[in-house]
Order: sequence, then C-alpha cells, then structure tokens
Amino acid sequence: MSQLAELQKTFCDALLSPEPPPERLLSELVDDGLALQRFNVYRNNFIVLNGDALADMYPVIKRLIGDEAFRVLATAYVRQHPPQERALLLYGDQFPHFLATLPELSGLPYLADVARIEFAWTDAYHAEEHHRLTEEQVAAIPSEALGQCQLLPHPTLHCIRSDYPIHAIWQANQRCDSNETISLDQGESHLIILRPQHDVEVREVIRGAFHFIKQLQAGISIDLAYEFASQLDSTFDPTLFLSQHLFDGTFYQIKQQPRRLLKQELKRQ
Amino acid sequence: MDEAITSLRSAPALVPSRAGAGLKAVHYQTIIDNQPDIGWFEVHPENYMGRGGAPLRYLERIRADYPISLHSVGTSLGSHQPLDQNHLRNLKKLVDRFQPGLVSEHLSWSHGYEWFTHDLIPLIYNQEVLDLVVSHIQQVQDYLQRQILIENPSSYLQFKQSDIPEQEFLVEAAKRSGAGLLLDVNNVYVSCRNHNWDIEEYLAPIPAELIGEIHLAGHAVQALGDQELLIDDHGSPICTAVWELYRNCIDRIGSVPTLIERDSNIPGFDTLYKEVQFAEHYLQSSREACRVSTR
Repeated sequence: MSQLAELQKTFCDALLSPEPPPERLLSELVDDGLALQRFNVYRNNFIVLNGDALADMYPVIKRLIGDEAFRVLATAYVRQHPPQERALLLYGDQFPHFLATLPELSGLPYLADVARIEFAWTDAYHAEEHHRLTEEQVAAIPSEALGQCQLLPHPTLHCIRSDYPIHAIWQANQRCDSNETISLDQGESHLIILRPQHDVEVREVIRGAFHFIKQLQAGISIDLAYEFASQLDSTFDPTLFLSQHLFDGTFYQIKQQPRRLLKQELKRQ
Repeated sequence: MDEAITSLRSAPALVPSRAGAGLKAVHYQTIIDNQPDIGWFEVHPENYMGRGGAPLRYLERIRADYPISLHSVGTSLGSHQPLDQNHLRNLKKLVDRFQPGLVSEHLSWSHGYEWFTHDLIPLIYNQEVLDLVVSHIQQVQDYLQRQILIENPSSYLQFKQSDIPEQEFLVEAAKRSGAGLLLDVNNVYVSCRNHNWDIEEYLAPIPAELIGEIHLAGHAVQALGDQELLIDDHGSPICTAVWELYRNCIDRIGSVPTLIERDSNIPGFDTLYKEVQFAEHYLQSSREACRVSTR
C-alpha cells in the first residue's frame, strides 16, 4: 500500500471510531498543540453531515423519539453503516433494520415499520418516471384473456405491512405541532407507497388488496393473484378494487403471459 | 413536465459575470413563481443523481430560465484510488442534459477507503499528490470534454509532509491540467486564519486569468483552547471581513461570476437574494471602475 493510501485509510478509520485517533495519524499532522482538536473537527463533521442526511430522510422518526435520541441513534448508525455511495440521496436504507435490532427500542415496536414508510417515500421520490396504465393498453387485450395477464404495479410502488397502525402514526406526525394520541390497539395496517406522477402517495389498503398487489408485483397472473389474496381475505372483491384503482397509477403495464410461464407458475402453486 | 422539456435551454448556457445563488429545494417554487433577477444558479450534481423525480424536474424547469453551474462534491480528486467511472458517467449525464456554463470540484478527497466521508478532507501538498491530482483533473476533463474549475478548500489541519504552499499547489494543478480555479473567498479567509497564513501572500501568486468563479459564504467560530477555529459551515450570513476581502479581489481580478453559497440554516429566499444583490452591486461598481480606468 502506498504511503498516501495508508494515510487516507488511517484517517478514515479514525473518523469512524469513537476512540481517540492513533498516534501514527496524529504524528502526521502539523502540531501546534491542538492537532487532536483539529482532527476532531473532521470527525464531528463526518458524524453531523451524514447524521443530518439521515434526519432529512427520517423526519417522523426524529419527531417520535426526539432530537437528542435521534442524534445518538444517527451517530451509532453512521459508525456502523458509513455511506457507500457518492450521492447521499438514499443514504439510510439500512436504518429501519437497524432500529428493529436495537433492544433499547423494544418499547416502540412500531418504529422500524414507520421508518420503512419514510425510506419507501424517499425511494419513490427519486425513482425514474413511468406512465400509469391507460385504458388503451387494457382495451388492446381480449377480455377473455385478461385473467391470465400479468398486471404490473407501478415500478415506484412499495408494499409495507405492520402489526401496528403505522399509517395513522405517520400521518399524525407530518406536522410538528401534532399531539394526537394513537392507540396501538387499532392493530395492523397495510400500506402501498408509490409515485404515479409528480407526488409520492402513501395509501392504506385492505389486506386482500395488499396481497393482491404484492402477488402481482411478483409477476403472477391476475387470476392467480386473486386466488391467493382471497384465501387471506375472503371479503376482497377484485372487480371493485380494479374498478377503483386500475387507472389511478397503482398499475403501469398489462402483459399477456406466455403459456409456458403460466404452467410453471401453476406447478409452483 | 412536458412544458419544461420543450422550453429547456431557452436560457443561454454561459454563466455571466454576475452574482448567482446556490439553488435549494425549499426555494424551487418561489424561483419559478417570481422569476427573480439573478444571473445564474449553482447546484451540487450529486443531489440530482436520482433516477428521476422532483429535483430533476425542478432543475429542468429552472434551467429553462437561468444558466446553471454544477459544483461537484463527490469526485474525490485527491483520493489515492482511481476515479469512479460510474460517478463520472452520472456527472456526464447531467452535463449533457443541463448544459451547465461552469463545472467545478474541490481540491480535496472524500473517498479514502471503502466508504465516503461526504466531507472534504485536505490533501498533503507535495509533488506526488500534485501529480495524482493533475492526472485526476485531466481524466475528469477528458471524460466531460470540457474544462473544470478547482476550488481552494477550507481546512482545519495540515499534514507535516506538505512542502508546497496551498496556493502554489492550486495554481500548478490548474496550469498543468488546463483547469481553471474557483476562488472561494470565505475559504481563503477561514484557512488563512486557521493556519496563520498571510492572506496577501496566499492571493498574490494566483493569476487573475485562472479564476473562473468566486464563492462567498458564511462561517462559524469555534473556541479551541485559547484560540479560535473558523468552521466553514455555509450556515450564516457572509461576514464583513469576507465582503471586504471579496471587494479587494474583484478590484484586482475584475468581475467574475460570484456565488452566494448557503447549505445549512437555509433562510427564506428574500434573505439570500439580499446577499446576491450586495455582490451584484460590487460587481457592477467593479465593471464601472474598469470602464473609467480604460477610457
């Protein structure tokens, strides 16, 4: 390793570590008696800049646990998961999982799921543009073949299920001054997050619709997706659902499936 | 969106020798609605490297009315590692799409190991690193098929192995690579104060013709033992001493595109606009003084 490579690696290790920098790094710095404090400016900047990026992505988590607790968690996260990309746009993708694994947060079991909404929101915000499904695309397919078609949910769409009323929690915390109380007894929620055109939408859907969309996302036919969804939610009415959502941006493409793929799928079922 | 695409690049690409402002997401709508009289806007390309969405749509819209400058923070010119081709590709895509009048990057590194600091870390100023930086600047310019400007950094520490003064390193890097310089007047002030360098000595060897852009920003003051360290946080108004230094600079080098940079504690657009007008006023006086003296 060249001298420069070694110095840059030592510098990076010291930025990441909560321990004081090693002597072999300090001995490289011009010493006016304040070399340690001067280095610490960089370590502090590194933690604060990346922690701020995390705070931008997770404003609701910050509101729920408070600024100080968020800063502590962000510092730990930045040290465990330093940025892997040059752009910070999607920095923090591991944060929901990180929150889920912290024993200190076990009293806030919904937190990681709320964080998943916030990540999905940002991911959809920066996603590539895709048109929504049009009536012409559907009209081009003979009606008797529709059931065997692949109906593809919008590429920006994320599906999130939680045991807790995370949609209500997320919504109540869109404003700083909200002090609404939400009972966790409201139970599970099923959300889809997507950006059909300009704006990201967070929608709560019924359980059957959620699993129907999730199955369609995996690429199986409309008929099979319905079969699966109706087993989990007998009240799910696909005709009603599609009459409301087929052209509202939930979907972006419909494809006639090749016979061969269908057979493979039937075997899997 | 479609409307923005059809009207794209109705504004010229060339960044004029006027005052510009850093473009912030919170100001997008105000700028589109009010069309303020500002020479140009600057963005960090890394904030527009998503696959789509609102930031690119807004930039497209604003580019229709204003020239823009791309001020990169992610190339890591001083890394011992090779440049990231993927990042260069993303940068080139933005250059092709938005036709910026200026493209710039910092004299620093942010990728020293397997991950990114997202902070601008200073270099060792010696011959070996100079050769490396020159080669990296040339690679970026070859890839983008255009000249870039290199910005003098703000710094809080120095390496013992440095044996070339920062200003000479910058000038040499620019001359050898064919790049221009982005003179950040606040950074000059911050680094000179932090390292007890003489501001006059710092500025004297920098040839006016190399300077393609000026940056102005605010800084914070941090107590460090019984000394003070200036922190370049772009989070407060530009201080009087930096305005004074700026005026001296443009008296010497003439009017150059000047950016008001603000990256944290972002104020309402009106507050930022006042600083832009202040710089604009200096630039105009400098142009008038220049006309008088050449008469």
